[in-house]
Parts: sequence; structure tokens; C-alpha cells
Amino acid sequence: MSLSLDKPERLLRRGAGPGARLRWPFRRSTTISLLSVLVFLALWQMVPALGLMNVRYTSQPSEVATAFVEMLGEAPFYGHAWVSLREFVLGFALALALAVPCGVALGTSRYVRLVVDPPLMALYIAPPLVLLPILTIWLGIDMASKVAVVFLGAFFPVAVNTAAGMREADPRLVRAARSFGAGRLAVFSRVLVPGALPSILMGVRLAVGRGVLSVVVAELFVARAGIGHLLHVYGSALRMDRLLVCALVVSAFGYGLTQVVRRLEERVAIWRADS
Amino acid sequence: MIALYRRFEAVIIGTASFLAIAVVWQYAVDAGHIDPFFVSTPLAVAGEAMAEAADGTLLVNLLATLHAFSLALGLGAVAGIGLGMLAGWFPDVEAALDPFIWFKYSAPTIAFYPIFIAYLGYGLPTVVTVGFLFALTPIYANTLAGIRAVDRDLLRVALSFGARPLDVFVRVALPGSVPMLVAGFRLGVGRALTGVVVAELFGSTAGLGYSISQNAQLMRTTPMMVSIVAIVLIGVVLTQALSFVERWTDAWRVDAE
Repeated sequence: MSLSLDKPERLLRRGAGPGARLRWPFRRSTTISLLSVLVFLALWQMVPALGLMNVRYTSQPSEVATAFVEMLGEAPFYGHAWVSLREFVLGFALALALAVPCGVALGTSRYVRLVVDPPLMALYIAPPLVLLPILTIWLGIDMASKVAVVFLGAFFPVAVNTAAGMREADPRLVRAARSFGAGRLAVFSRVLVPGALPSILMGVRLAVGRGVLSVVVAELFVARAGIGHLLHVYGSALRMDRLLVCALVVSAFGYGLTQVVRRLEERVAIWRADS
Repeated sequence: MIALYRRFEAVIIGTASFLAIAVVWQYAVDAGHIDPFFVSTPLAVAGEAMAEAADGTLLVNLLATLHAFSLALGLGAVAGIGLGMLAGWFPDVEAALDPFIWFKYSAPTIAFYPIFIAYLGYGLPTVVTVGFLFALTPIYANTLAGIRAVDRDLLRVALSFGARPLDVFVRVALPGSVPMLVAGFRLGVGRALTGVVVAELFGSTAGLGYSISQNAQLMRTTPMMVSIVAIVLIGVVLTQALSFVERWTDAWRVDAE
């Protein structure tokens, strides 16, 4: 299941043709989204002023904006972000490098599937984050344990979706390729892999979310550097403005990367429709 | 005999695969290849599980986790299905909620746990809130998509026979969205379990996650493994149960068509 910004045509949508009466530059839905965010920000700004909530717990949009500008000028912030980024990229790259071949084996060989699928599914279903404390004991509190957690978080969605993509290959295409004299390798590289690509990319998109969550949780649990560590420090000090800045930076990163993968998915879908 | 094997091949090989892992694990430690301090052994874990079951610790932690989990999932389902239906039916509601759902989708919820702890304290309320927020998004998104994906032919038929919007919603959109709804619920189960366990690692005083992080601080690998295995088992049992429910709701759909 995926959320998509550009929605298909709505049912029951009331008159919103081009050149409607109002000369308002945005579509109705965009306007409502903007309004609802503005109302939320205004309420958030006002609630502490009205004495309904303690500003120490909730902070305020204005404070968060100030903190954001402050933190952009601080060198340590970039250092922490760099540590988290490296952990994420390493773990994610390792996961991709191993999960795709593993998924291919799972998807194409019946015996591999029968043997490996049950333990794999058990680990896919269970939150890999429960292994975090034990990974910390094995690998220490520095980068290695975070890389391992990201790896575990990202590996399973990619492997499972690659396998599913391989299995769902159109049997007619496979048979057609065989009748025209394609060998096993040709069937694999010309039919199975292109056919499984959308499914693989969907796994990658799911893995991005899990990977980002894994880095942050692992660093929150125990670390000496990284955005998650900053979250922990600011959380303990009840510096909500700075905590929210960190959370927003992580969200923006996850959102951006997910969008990149989504673009790739769309491109693959277009290419498929053409051919 | 062979027919029997064919029928249960997946189960037999799957069980053998788990047994093989346990044997290799036990052997690697017994033969001195790996220090049991790091990985414990299957026999030690089984022994510890028995001991914890006998003195009640396992049951207490298990019940604490399941309690928080069912509250989180229940709240997530009520809010997710309710909001999803509203947003699926009224595009304006969807537009108003969209930015927040997007934020929720990409933000690591757990990053806000210091705020929850400041408000709600260590324990059940914090754990339930995190689990709830984890479960909410997939349930909401699937409900919305299910309502939105209502069959256009059915919709036109209903409208030409004079159905009012409320009739269309109750008689066409709602039954049509059941499979998506169940699929969303299944995703929500996994997410709620993750949320509850992760929140227990950080901000709780009870539960399986709490027992993992507590024993991690004491470097006691065996009890950690007991709790990890228990969580994996909960996940497997719940998912199996739900895929059964899913098949059941799908079967109804096929019959009806």
C-alpha cells in the first residue's frame, strides 16, 4: 500500500474545472492542505500563550524555527548528521548487495525457498529492532552495531519482495522465450529480472523507511554520535525545539529518499507500459 | 507415506530448517567456536524459558506486552479506519489530513519518545501511544485506498437505481473495501508490535522489550534470547492468524461475485 500525492480522479468531486471563478493559483486540495497546516501551526503557537500547555513540553513553531537557524550554524550538528548518514548508507548498501541475490535464489529455486523461507519470514515479521541490544553486545556501541541494525531492517523487505517478483514472472513470457531458444541465463536476465524490477524497487522503498527508523532507534538506544544521539541528548535536557529540529531533518531525509525511489518506480512502470 | 510427505513438505522442511539452525548453534558453542557469553545456546535458552515460565516472569512480561499491544492496535484500528473512511469519502478531509499523514509516514515516530515520556511518564501510556502511532498510518492508508477503489460500474448501477450517497457508502464502498481493510489491519499488527516493543526498550517498566533492555544492561544473553524468541513467536502467530482471516474475507468476495 502506498500513499501518493497525485491522486487519481476523485469520485464525487464538485466543480473544479480549469478557469474556475476564483483566480487562486492552487488547486482546491492544495489550498486545504496549506490551510490545515497553517491552522495547526497557529494553534501550536497559541496553546502555550493561552496557558493550556507547558511550553517546555511542546515548544513553539517560532522557537523551532530559531533553533533550526542556530543549529545550521553549528559545526557539531553536521558531524552528527555525517555519522548517521554513513551508518545508513553502509548498512543499506550491504543489505541491497546481499538481499537481491538472496531474493533471486528464493524466488527461482523451490528447495531454497522451502528451507530458507520459514526462518526468513520469522525474522521479517519480528521487528529486527528487538535484536538491537544483543547486536550492541556483539558489535559494541559504535558504528558497527548501527550498520548491522540498518542492514537487518533493510534486508528483509528487499529479499522478500525480490523473491515475490521472481515468482510472479509471467509464465507465458518464460515459455515464449524458451521456445525461441533462450537458455536459462537469457531467461533470467531478459525476462525474470526486468519483470521483477518494480517489485524489487517496492522492496527498496519499504527498506528506506525501515533503514532510517533503524539508524535513529539504534543511536537513541546507545551511541556516542549521530542524529539519534542528539535526539537523546536534547530529549534528556527537555530541549524540545532542538529535538524537533533533529526529528524534522531525519523526516526530510527519509521523505526525500522515498521520493527518489518512487520516481524510479514510475520510470520503470512507464518503460514497461511502452514495451 | 510419500503422499503424506508431499502434502506436508513445506511444514516438514521448514521445521527441519529451524532444527538445523538450533543444532548448528548448539554445536558451534559446544565445540568452542563461539563464546556462549555472546550467543548463549538453544539448550540454555530453553532451560531459562522453563525457569522463567515456572517463576511467572515470562507470563508477566508477555501479558504486559500483549496488553499494551492490544490497546495500541485497537486505538490504531478505530482511529485509522474512522479517519480513512472520512478521508476516502470526502476529498476535502483527505486534503486536510494529507500533510500530517505524510509527516507521520516519513518521521521516525520513536524520535518523539522523550516528549511522550515528559507527558505520560515511563510505562503503559507511553508504550501504547508509540504503538498506536506506528499502527495508525498503514490502517488509515489502506482504508482510504479501499474506499477510493470502489468499483465504478457498481457505483453507476447504484446511482442509476436512485441510491443516495449514504446508501452508496454503506452498501457499495464499505463492503468493497473489506479486503483492503483487512490487509491494512495485518500491516498494522506488525507495526503495532514493533512500536510497542521498541517503546518498551526505551520507556517502560514492564514487558518483553523492557526485559530485553534490562538484561542487555546486565549482559545476560540467555534471558534476552528468551524474550526475543517470545516476540518472534507472537509475531508469527498473529500474522498466521490474520492471513487466515484474510483468506476467509477473500473467499466471501469470490462467492459473492
